[in-house]
Amino acid sequence: MFKSRHQMISLAIVLVFGFTLFYIGTDGFTAFTEETARTNKLIEEQPLLPDITLEDSKGREYSFDEFEGKYMLMTFIYTACSTVCPQLEMNTAEIYESLPEKYIGEDIVFMSVSFDPERDTPEILDRYRTYFGSDGETWRMVRIPDEQELQSVLDEFGVIVIPDGEGDFQHNVAYYLVDKDGYLVDVLDFSDVEGAKARVLETLEQEGEG
Amino acid sequence: MKQAIYGLILYVFLMIPPVVHLSESIMSIHMHMQMPLLGIAGMFMTPFLQKKFPSFFKKWNENGIPGIILFFIVFFYWLLPRAMDETLILTHVEVFKFISWPFLIGVSLRDSWAKLSNAWKNAVYIIVSVAYLGMAWLYIFSPDQLCNNYLIVEQRTLGWGFLLIAFCILLYFVQTLFIDQSQYE
Repeated sequence: MFKSRHQMISLAIVLVFGFTLFYIGTDGFTAFTEETARTNKLIEEQPLLPDITLEDSKGREYSFDEFEGKYMLMTFIYTACSTVCPQLEMNTAEIYESLPEKYIGEDIVFMSVSFDPERDTPEILDRYRTYFGSDGETWRMVRIPDEQELQSVLDEFGVIVIPDGEGDFQHNVAYYLVDKDGYLVDVLDFSDVEGAKARVLETLEQEGEG
Repeated sequence: MKQAIYGLILYVFLMIPPVVHLSESIMSIHMHMQMPLLGIAGMFMTPFLQKKFPSFFKKWNENGIPGIILFFIVFFYWLLPRAMDETLILTHVEVFKFISWPFLIGVSLRDSWAKLSNAWKNAVYIIVSVAYLGMAWLYIFSPDQLCNNYLIVEQRTLGWGFLLIAFCILLYFVQTLFIDQSQYE
């Protein structure tokens, strides 16, 4: 097939180049989509939650410091969403209900953050939370009123929100597990409820022992 | 020479910022127009490069096989959903797109094509169309958002685009088997 040595050399170069290209382009054949790459990177980097102001469904304003010393299971949603958010919050409710009561509110709080502060006023959030059995205390629904602050949280956690021009948003969906000091420690698949339950419970139990 | 100028004009045109912005704002145009057009720009520039560096092409790509393998590798890289996403967020990937499509895909395809045997050419048609059918299946039926920067509805549209192109290539391929091209040349 190859008459000359040059052909062999150039083919070898091409193959090495190709291997390198794919190796770098997929982080060593681990991430073929940007979402996987993003999740891997977040887990590796463990970013700190920015210091910003939240407003909850009762109209109270505070920052993430309020929850220092507690784990936080976060989701990012908007209430007008009719597709994935209700599913996500249903799954959240399942996790919330499955955890032993002693942990709820003491060692962990649930936090659903709206990225649509314009429409998701405290009144709307207060109604929305009742659909999923959130009590507004140990599972809070909040918005981030300041646009820049909202963007900083989304950027830090790699949440990409694209308005579709008809009042809806396309966004990536996951559970974000934040530790007692406000560092993101894990990103969980929202559709794998059992896996997420196990991961949260394991974390809380370890904390109880330690 | 004229071809090379057309190629260069097309290449420069595709690099104008508003054109870049427009062609990347819609997923199908990004994948099925911008990228292939960059490849075509490279193909137009190939004869000029061949004339400029005749020994390079002759020496290193004598039978066309290293070239066509290079074509496949880079081409498959750009089929990764992640590659397209990253052009939008990482500058070096965007730069790589503008270099690799014309010079690694376009040039190596055209330079190799003339040197390849019919069996190889047939293999190229089949591999590209099978890959496109696979991508069509993936993009149409994937329940997940594959590219973070594009809507799922765009993703499905892109899938149908892949399907259409795959059928066109297959159709062309099949007719090459039955119709003697030399009669029309």
